[in-house]
Amino acid sequence: MNFNLTTTPEEEAFRQEVSDFLEVELTDEIRRQHSLDKGLGPEAREFNRKIGAKGWLGLGWPEEYGGSGGSLRYEIILIQELARHEARIPNTVARYLAGPAILHFGSEEMKKEFLPRIAKGEIEFALGYTEPPAGSDLMAMQMRAVEEGDFFIINGTKIFNTGCHFSDYHWLAVKTDPAAHRLQQISLFVVDMDAPGIEIRPLWTLGGERTNEVYYDNVKVPKSRLVGEKNQGFLYMVHALNYERLAVYQIERFFPVINRLVNYAKETKRNGALLADDPMVRNKLAQLAVEAEVCKCIEYKALALLIDGSIPDYEAGIIKLIGSEFYQRLGYMSMEVLNHFGLLEEDSDWAPLMGEISRICRSSVPDTIGAGSSEIIRNVTAMRALGLPRK
Amino acid sequence: MDIRLSEEQEMLRNSARRFLEKNCPSSLVREMVEDEMGYTEELWQGMAELGWIGLIIPEEYGGVGMGFLELTVLMEEMGRVMLPGPFFSTAVLGGLAFLQAGSASQKKEYLPGIAGGQMKVTLALNEAESIYDPGSMAVSAVEEGEGFVLNGTKLFVPDAHVADTILCAARTDQGIEDGITLFVVDGKDPSIRTKLLKTIAGDKQFEVVFHEVRVPKENVLGQPGQGWPPIKTVLQKSAVLKCAEMIGGGQRILEMTAAYAKEREQFGRKIGAFQAIQHHCVNMLVDLEGCRWVAYKAAWMIHEGMPYEKQASIAKAWCNQAYRRVVALAHQVLGGVGYIEEHDLPLYFRRARAAEAAFGDADYHRKIVADQIFTHGAIDRIQQGNIQ
Repeated sequence: MNFNLTTTPEEEAFRQEVSDFLEVELTDEIRRQHSLDKGLGPEAREFNRKIGAKGWLGLGWPEEYGGSGGSLRYEIILIQELARHEARIPNTVARYLAGPAILHFGSEEMKKEFLPRIAKGEIEFALGYTEPPAGSDLMAMQMRAVEEGDFFIINGTKIFNTGCHFSDYHWLAVKTDPAAHRLQQISLFVVDMDAPGIEIRPLWTLGGERTNEVYYDNVKVPKSRLVGEKNQGFLYMVHALNYERLAVYQIERFFPVINRLVNYAKETKRNGALLADDPMVRNKLAQLAVEAEVCKCIEYKALALLIDGSIPDYEAGIIKLIGSEFYQRLGYMSMEVLNHFGLLEEDSDWAPLMGEISRICRSSVPDTIGAGSSEIIRNVTAMRALGLPRK
Repeated sequence: MDIRLSEEQEMLRNSARRFLEKNCPSSLVREMVEDEMGYTEELWQGMAELGWIGLIIPEEYGGVGMGFLELTVLMEEMGRVMLPGPFFSTAVLGGLAFLQAGSASQKKEYLPGIAGGQMKVTLALNEAESIYDPGSMAVSAVEEGEGFVLNGTKLFVPDAHVADTILCAARTDQGIEDGITLFVVDGKDPSIRTKLLKTIAGDKQFEVVFHEVRVPKENVLGQPGQGWPPIKTVLQKSAVLKCAEMIGGGQRILEMTAAYAKEREQFGRKIGAFQAIQHHCVNMLVDLEGCRWVAYKAAWMIHEGMPYEKQASIAKAWCNQAYRRVVALAHQVLGGVGYIEEHDLPLYFRRARAAEAAFGDADYHRKIVADQIFTHGAIDRIQQGNIQ
């Protein structure tokens, strides 16, 4: 049993290397761009390329496709260290969804065209799954791709497609055979985001993040952009979930926030006393520290299973479940500690912690809904982990 | 990162499970609630022969010389079957106290008897106005001649009626943490009167009245006036082991509940098909997973000799909250059958209440966590690189 992130001198050296790199290259502005999801500005893009240049985005990929080999352990160390510094894996859709699917199922041509550029941090993908009729029930999607000569003609509407407005490519799930067996109706495509016929309309979330409605009007996509085989998209999407587990929710991210709250409490007086001396404040912050650590320990279990070569069957879902629910409590409890001051947005006078708490309250609301709602995760976990019946 | 138990730990878990399944059915647990002693000599000797009582006592003192993680694994199995009797008092409270504070000759004198099962021990700490709080302890120890005279009443002393030795924390000087001395007291001294406290858990907790109890000065455990630090260590480690007990109970409860959900039919289907039931069960699973890994991490840190104070308190604070929910949700899923006393779940419920209070409730431990994060910051230190 070992709860250390690194267990050999080589792993520790790698972790230190990543840490040193981040100390130099990761600025507050880049952190802001990462967390706001409004699209990466030039600083964050440049940061992507620098990480890519270190070979860190291609960890675990074959060198012939621009990867740097290396094991899962190193990838996990990288992700954890980025989270510790409050940075993000640039473009998880490219790295953990599109990339692995192309690697495993794409044509040689497709692999050569996309993987090296993903590994270098040069291109970004946006996820194109959800539609107005298809949220938790993805199979209810209606966007249609019809074969015509050397192309597929695609028509339909996607919604809650985040990142489309700045990504190079749309990782698109479409129905190519709606009459087929349930699991063989969907195909995956790599679509140029600036292809003629695509219209993007912004939707602004409570969290201040931009997501989009995307309209496809007779968009012509070359057949070479079909990922793997036609009608096998659903299987590829399920397979991709194995990798997505790495990008799920980094609990490490919570600790610096709690730390900032502790420091705030040490410096702030209210009603005649330092917040740090108020037993209620201490109790709340302690509870946050307890819950963050519990989430961390469950995350470590999943990571340990991954490193061991097992598939964390239900653990990844649980991490997202508890991480997102904790994140909401973090927002509410922090609001309680900051009182009126927690209401203040970033650009207001008197806003403590750069308005972070108000933003956390708002941006944590979608987290229990998207990427697997808490309810769906509970349904699925009941079946997978406990063998409870579907009906 | 590795969550696997070692081969030795796995073997211990498996053999403990088999032994306890066979020798500690819930009917025994019920019997022992009514029984005056609260344990059977047969089972006690059985555990002694397996080396369990001396599991973490070094071999030179007759123990098995295993580590804290192994004891944690064993404790989980004991919690699974709600093992009654003075194991925790003797092996944990007594064993850890002697290991922590005893001089070489005291260890030589007392540990073999503990390890061999001949000597039962308990720890008398709490009082009417003092719960795990050295500053307010009032049971006094006054120096007289070649020893001390103890006076006062301790409460919630586990298994005092069968203890051959009672470790009593008493005030020797005025002051906060200083001024407490830990004494090795003969449990059969006629000046000590014990009276059973009837608790919700049916566990054997006692009022212990010390009236002019004379204790020779060799029976000071550790240094005079320095009793609190070793007691604090014992409390922290005991808190983690109590978490292990709760995890063991929680694991069995989860299994019982999932099994029931797959078997019980209403409205033409198994109730496990209803989402409300599914969500209750998953919430139990998630709470239990949290308990397991946060407590085992604390146990690992203790086992490896790392600073563990914050983690131990995080574990107990969490397990208290989470185990409460696990038991409560089990009751919801099991419905009527689960609150009839014949069923095992009420036994777990009762013992869960006692487990919450033991060695610090959530508020107590959150205070410690707060002190830690306000002193050292809230960043998880392990993740800053290997702790040396």
